[in-house]
Amino acid sequence: MTFDEVIEQSKVELGEMVESGRLAIGIFYPHAPYELILAHGFIPTLLRTDSNIGGAYETSLQTFACSLIRNMYSQREMNQLPEVSGFIFPGNTCDSLQNLGDVWRVRFPEDNVFRLTYPVADTSEASIRFLAEELRLLSEKLSNELGQPFFDDEYSKAVDFMQSFREAAQTLYIVRLLVPDIITYSSLASLVRGFLSAPGDGALERVRTAAKQVVDESGFREDIERIRKGILTHQFQDIKLPPNLPRPRIAVLGGMTEPEAIAKIIEILPKTSDSVIVLDILSFGFKTVFTPPPDGSDPFSAMAQSILASPGEPTQEGLRNRVTYLKDLISNLNIHGLIVCEQSFCDPDEFETPSLEKAVSEMNLPIVRLPIDPELSDLSRLGVRIQSFLEQLESE
Amino acid sequence: MTEEREKTEKPYRKLETQAFLQQIAFRQGFEALEASENGRLTWVTSGFPVEIPIAMDVGVVYPEQAGAIIGAQKIGPEVCGYAEDLGYSQELCSYARASIGSTQRPDDVPMGSLPPPQALLACNNICGTVLRWYDAISEMTGAPVFLLDTPPVEGEQLPHHRAYVRNGLNELVGFLSSTFNTTLEDDKFRNVADLSSNAINLWTNSLEACKNKPSPLNCADRFLTMAPVVSSRGTEHCVEFYEMLFAEVEDRVKQNIGAVGDEKIRLLWDNIPPWFILRFFNQLAARGVSFPADTYTHAWSGAIEGVDVSSILDEMVGMYSNVYLNKGLNAKIDKMCQLIKDYDLDGFIMFSVRSCKRYSLGQMASKEIVTERTGVPGVIIEGDMVDSRLFNEAQIQTRVDALLEMFV
Amino acid sequence: MAELPAIPVGLDIGSTTAKGVLLNPDKTVLTKYLQNTGASVSASANSIMERLCDAAGVSREQCTVIATGYGRASVDFAMRNVTEITCHSIGVHHLNPNIRLLIDVGGQDSKAIRIGKNGRPEDFQLNDKCSAGTGRFLEVMARVLDVSLDELGPLALKSKNPSQISSTCTVFAESEVIGRIGSGDAPEDIAAGVHLAMASKVRSLAKQVKIEPPVGVTGGVSLNPAFRHYLSKQIECTLWMPKDPQFTGALGAALLAFE
Repeated sequence: MTFDEVIEQSKVELGEMVESGRLAIGIFYPHAPYELILAHGFIPTLLRTDSNIGGAYETSLQTFACSLIRNMYSQREMNQLPEVSGFIFPGNTCDSLQNLGDVWRVRFPEDNVFRLTYPVADTSEASIRFLAEELRLLSEKLSNELGQPFFDDEYSKAVDFMQSFREAAQTLYIVRLLVPDIITYSSLASLVRGFLSAPGDGALERVRTAAKQVVDESGFREDIERIRKGILTHQFQDIKLPPNLPRPRIAVLGGMTEPEAIAKIIEILPKTSDSVIVLDILSFGFKTVFTPPPDGSDPFSAMAQSILASPGEPTQEGLRNRVTYLKDLISNLNIHGLIVCEQSFCDPDEFETPSLEKAVSEMNLPIVRLPIDPELSDLSRLGVRIQSFLEQLESE
Repeated sequence: MTEEREKTEKPYRKLETQAFLQQIAFRQGFEALEASENGRLTWVTSGFPVEIPIAMDVGVVYPEQAGAIIGAQKIGPEVCGYAEDLGYSQELCSYARASIGSTQRPDDVPMGSLPPPQALLACNNICGTVLRWYDAISEMTGAPVFLLDTPPVEGEQLPHHRAYVRNGLNELVGFLSSTFNTTLEDDKFRNVADLSSNAINLWTNSLEACKNKPSPLNCADRFLTMAPVVSSRGTEHCVEFYEMLFAEVEDRVKQNIGAVGDEKIRLLWDNIPPWFILRFFNQLAARGVSFPADTYTHAWSGAIEGVDVSSILDEMVGMYSNVYLNKGLNAKIDKMCQLIKDYDLDGFIMFSVRSCKRYSLGQMASKEIVTERTGVPGVIIEGDMVDSRLFNEAQIQTRVDALLEMFV
Repeated sequence: MAELPAIPVGLDIGSTTAKGVLLNPDKTVLTKYLQNTGASVSASANSIMERLCDAAGVSREQCTVIATGYGRASVDFAMRNVTEITCHSIGVHHLNPNIRLLIDVGGQDSKAIRIGKNGRPEDFQLNDKCSAGTGRFLEVMARVLDVSLDELGPLALKSKNPSQISSTCTVFAESEVIGRIGSGDAPEDIAAGVHLAMASKVRSLAKQVKIEPPVGVTGGVSLNPAFRHYLSKQIECTLWMPKDPQFTGALGAALLAFE
């Protein structure tokens, strides 16, 4: 199935779930408490940018608002977002998203707007306590305003459900590190996105089936578990990839750029398979997939800990930590080059890019910058950069 | 005879107290240099609870203020360019770019580059950008960053929020203690907090005096005289400065003298000013336009009354979490409407600063709502506070003229 | 495996102009051709191909074609398409192997390319989003100053005191220039200011790839003497320009076809 077909399918599935009586909650920030929302019986749907949306934000947002929020706002203005009973906006993650929540409340007073404020810190006790309380308050609000309480048994089911997805998606990522052409990057992006947009049994089954298939085909069962452990425990030296893997091996870095955007750009390049992309380290991809599950008796603390342990999230503090993480990960994955995505007017991306470029140059790896927005404006311009970069790698 | 000539020749009055600003700036610069040489200098954000490092005998300087100075010297584009040469996007905050640029090439920015820091103290109550900006500086200078996380407040600050920030303040004290081999003592802290409160009170009183018609201060006066309460808060010379300022302000009110010679229109200014073209306000003054209030200088308020370290820190939680920029759009709208009412203003100008998402996004909605609630008209003009390349005088002139024509 | 046809041809189909180069066995240029791209990329590609083959006295089947430039993907008879970054790099390296930094300024974009010892790009930066720093900027300003694009450069060279144009955005700069005209600045000074602003923007791009002499310039705008003059001053290096700067892309493509 093409990516667009997958999106259509997830729209249909989400619609079916809503029709059967369940309420959907729209999420903007991928490091969200999916388990919490499911425990209330709601469907968390991670809203996606629409590359075909025209500009309808001009009356409310200036052009220097990041391209992500302009896209989201435009969709809402044109009534093109999925039918949801409420929206959860993140607080304290970045100024664009912070302001989007504020403006949204004013411009769309009929929408149910909830806010989850994140600590900008690592997994210290104080941060976990803060986020746990925010989650508890969110749960209360969801209960009061949408009339569905938190159920402990639903929470347990939700934890298992999300973990099944993560495990299967992780498997796909890992197998692609070993055999990049076993499943296209576009398919991986579709499966992950399909699930996050409509997290139901159908989408989960598709991810799990794909995962099982690649495990069987690749014959790498043990290696996969070893690599998974290495990534999750940050013991990257344990990854130990086999030698002589096909060239080039490229990793994509960035924040809130959709994985399928990268796949789309590669699609227009001549005779280039997206198996050149062996890994992404993007918020809507790797960082969400490799988030550890909630673990602990108090659901809110457990979820807080899980969210804060997501690898390398740029809205949180610790540039040094993120750079070290990246260098360690990259050096153990036999990577030949990196693409760093810089979303238009995105502060986290744009502040980080020079540091990433420096770190990668210190490893003597080539890196190319990709200034990108959700509309993929002037796709050919983006294609030239990637194609030139591939040509550069070829000649080495 | 002289007074009349003054009125026709100069549409605005220069503050005498302003002359002392340079002294204070030099003094601070000298102290910072000394502190850096002694290994005791920190760079801080403008919303940081600076009373704590000062009470712990640690020096402080303000990159944001350095940014304003760079802007005022009209070298903003050049200095930002040094950061852009390192790969930082032109879309980023110009205070940050100017800071990164001047840190990269301090010899090319004699006025505006800061002495090397031993630590960086950032509080995100003014925006989330400072976190990433200071991370970048940390990478360049090797100085460690301490981030005081004050997540945005909506309505009333809840207990878990207070506890979190309070914990942050405790960690700050620990960080400064170990980094600079110092302690935070009750008396010293009380003393610094008192000085800080005194200065803030005097400053607040000076601001409120602008309710008078004509307003004794125009916004440019306030933008410049705000510097000490930002950068020298907690010192004695800061209090002295504001005593002088307030005395001059009171004197003007007594004599019914305005900052603008012939005040005809009173407006509200929203956002950081364009430091490179403060004469913009003088040009408007010539047309009888004065700005008795603005949201930028009104960010500061609150006295600290606690008697020991613990109680003072408790008070600081609220004071530093609830600054104007940390409270969301509705609170901003409320504040603007209140200023318009309290200061009896005829309209407002919202400066849409490209660099500052925290301050500027939301203006398009708030503009409509403020007019709806107060009945007064306003206009949005676009530009930046340091990067003069983004200021289109012709476009701005047209919009401001259109607004002023509404008052005829 | 069948051998590829022997005659190497490079086609550079840009957004404004299309160029073609056909090489001799010793890698010198046998014939070249330039025309406006017009509305159809494939039409202009075919037309150039015809011209080159006619001039060389060969048939199309004897040629191996590599296409580059904006319209490269639409040249269906090309064996392969390669980006202009790679092709300019190879072309310039062939003409002058000492060049480590190449600055290419065209109608719609500008590029800074670090050329490796093997003639291939080691690093590159593109300005393809913003029209300031591209030929479009000069076009707009020429119109405002009421001179032709060809006259703009020589006019600017007459100035001893360039006006200060500070805007980095074409739209803003345009109104700045209008303002200057209104203020009575001499046209040559305004023209010089325009080139200075342009050079400054290009320098900023080049700096990100590290400026290392000798520096080469190519692209349509490199034909403008005032641009070269101000760019050279800005980057503090003398500039090397190939004899036919518009053809380096096609040359590079042809050299690739040779391999």
